[in-house]
Amino acid sequence: MATKKLLDGNHAAAYGVKLVRAEVLGIYPITPQTELANQLADFVASGELKAKYITVESEHAAMSVCAGGSAAGARVFTASSSQGIVFMEELLWQVPGMRLPVVMAIVNRSIAFPGSLRTDHNDSLLQRDNGWIQMYCENAQEIIDACIQAYKIAEDSRVYLPTIFAYDGYVISHTAMPVEIPDQEDVDAFLPPYRHEYVYLDPKRYKPVITHEPHSEVGMEYRFQMEEAQNNARSVIEEVDREYGKMFGRSYGGPVEKYRCEDAEAVLVTMGSITGTARVVVDEMRREGKPIGLVKLRVFRPFPVEEMQEIGRNVRAIGFVDRNISHGSAGGGVGTVETARALYTLDERPVLIGFYAGLVGKDVVPGDIRYMAERTLKAAETGKAERQVEWIGLRKQAESVQVKV
Amino acid sequence: MQEEIRLPGHVLCPGCAGAIAERLIFNTLGRNIILFGGGVCASGGAANATVPSFSLHFSGVGAGAAGIAAALEAKGVKDVTVVAMNGDGAISDIGFSKLSACAERGDNIMQFCMDNEAYMNTGIQRSGLTPWGAWTTTTPKGKQVGRKKDLPMIMASHNIPYVATLSPAYPKDFTTKVSKAAGIEGFKYLHVMVPCPTGWRFSFDKTIEVARLAVQTGIWPLYEVDQGVLRITQVVKERKPVIEYLKLQGRFRQLGEKETQTIQVSVDEASARLQQMDGKRIY
Repeated sequence: MATKKLLDGNHAAAYGVKLVRAEVLGIYPITPQTELANQLADFVASGELKAKYITVESEHAAMSVCAGGSAAGARVFTASSSQGIVFMEELLWQVPGMRLPVVMAIVNRSIAFPGSLRTDHNDSLLQRDNGWIQMYCENAQEIIDACIQAYKIAEDSRVYLPTIFAYDGYVISHTAMPVEIPDQEDVDAFLPPYRHEYVYLDPKRYKPVITHEPHSEVGMEYRFQMEEAQNNARSVIEEVDREYGKMFGRSYGGPVEKYRCEDAEAVLVTMGSITGTARVVVDEMRREGKPIGLVKLRVFRPFPVEEMQEIGRNVRAIGFVDRNISHGSAGGGVGTVETARALYTLDERPVLIGFYAGLVGKDVVPGDIRYMAERTLKAAETGKAERQVEWIGLRKQAESVQVKV
Repeated sequence: MQEEIRLPGHVLCPGCAGAIAERLIFNTLGRNIILFGGGVCASGGAANATVPSFSLHFSGVGAGAAGIAAALEAKGVKDVTVVAMNGDGAISDIGFSKLSACAERGDNIMQFCMDNEAYMNTGIQRSGLTPWGAWTTTTPKGKQVGRKKDLPMIMASHNIPYVATLSPAYPKDFTTKVSKAAGIEGFKYLHVMVPCPTGWRFSFDKTIEVARLAVQTGIWPLYEVDQGVLRITQVVKERKPVIEYLKLQGRFRQLGEKETQTIQVSVDEASARLQQMDGKRIY
């Protein structure tokens, strides 16, 4: 019988890691991930989690430990945020190429400068090009579920790619809710012990494996195979979510969740904690009779192209709420730009607006959501966007300075 | 006949001491090892070893090996030795914090430093272990600032169970130390001199001669620090003048009498210090 506990996001993640029986942990503390690091140390100290916890001296070392541990046949875990993620960047390119199913939690925090301890998604979205699968969680319950699913996806032989589950610093990492903790035996049944078919360091079954830079003659083929694995992951993610639902009673609709999208003229697309706020606002606006829907992007890599196209066919306007920035982009954050590519092949395309919201930890309040929803509805009505990109909640002074310049 | 772990031939330069050192290491340890090596050019030859091996980039150093050792521990594998092999650049510069952290944590790794005294793989740029006075491509007038870091002593000061210096010119001393380290639990540090004909500018048939002279002049003393007790393992009764070692190598060509004297004085002082520590607990 699953138990319920009051847990914040960091503790939910720790319970997830305990349930998957991670064997090697290499973690360096950073705000706002620290309680996760601490809770796992407690689990190991008490014997509840039989793992080797390596108290590394940097995030670069943390991911090095994960790489070595995974290659030597252990289920591994690490977690970080912000500057820590940037510091481990070198390894974040090596691990997917080595096809090691490392799982990492990113507790989203903005990157300096100008940075803050509070959230935005640039740290995890910085990893959009290197082969990691990426999931974004809306609340603590989803974290524990995503953690268990992440290992199942990453360790699937059709995939063998590392996986990130990300959640917003403080808003989710430090906010408690009643969380259902699955039973150990159910998780054991869902997730068998880790065994890589191709990459292993074992003198008893030695075979040469290229783990250093392959010759340039085969490097591009490596990349091709990694891309195939990302494509395979699309169906694996669906399968895993369905199977999880059958076993544990919760599933998340695959890579995207459509909320009140029936007959919607316009939708907002959100990732992470903003989704929770947006649900309330959408409910409110639906009561007012406004045809607005919400799309929660749960999986960013592989990008859910077909799902976004299907949404694009059924609405007149999409507003993408980007809690990240890509300075100098073609227009909007990386979510907007990806969506534009996904929609490009449609015969009839909806209007697409890129909203910059909640950067460097700025709060996104219901009024902001309502504003973005109204703007997207208006675009649906008129068939065009007044502005392709909008900044939400910007101080008036900054906005006027920007206009003057 | 002894089984060869390395396949014949190598992709290293002719006369590379790295290949000699690796052969001694692998044939001493046997097949039941997992090799972790950064991209040092000496470890580039490790691709020839028929043992499971794993590499990260230069900056990876000990932490990748720590992950392997942790996985073995988690799986209850006790009979496999984790051997990490990195160059002086990785060890003393870009990966130094990792090396220090592995030592502090006592990760169960046998760490070799393959010291060819510069970034040879990228084309002879100076490292923290390049000796004072030596020419490299980034010290065209000779390394004028900074001495070679005394890394074996730095590692000994981490209170690890075993530290040793090794030379391919003294194979018996070399393999004895490798065997001894293999039997010790925890972090072992073995610092190997790897004369480099290409980077040090000497003829490739002089590798062992250069390595032997380094020991005989006191520039590369052979010792171990076993559980904190230092012991000189290759006693040099009468040290030869350093000029005999320096003059064989083009990298020291620009040094005049004054500079040579400076090196002689510093080697004399270091030798005297080491003599005083011989047989004593130093950490």
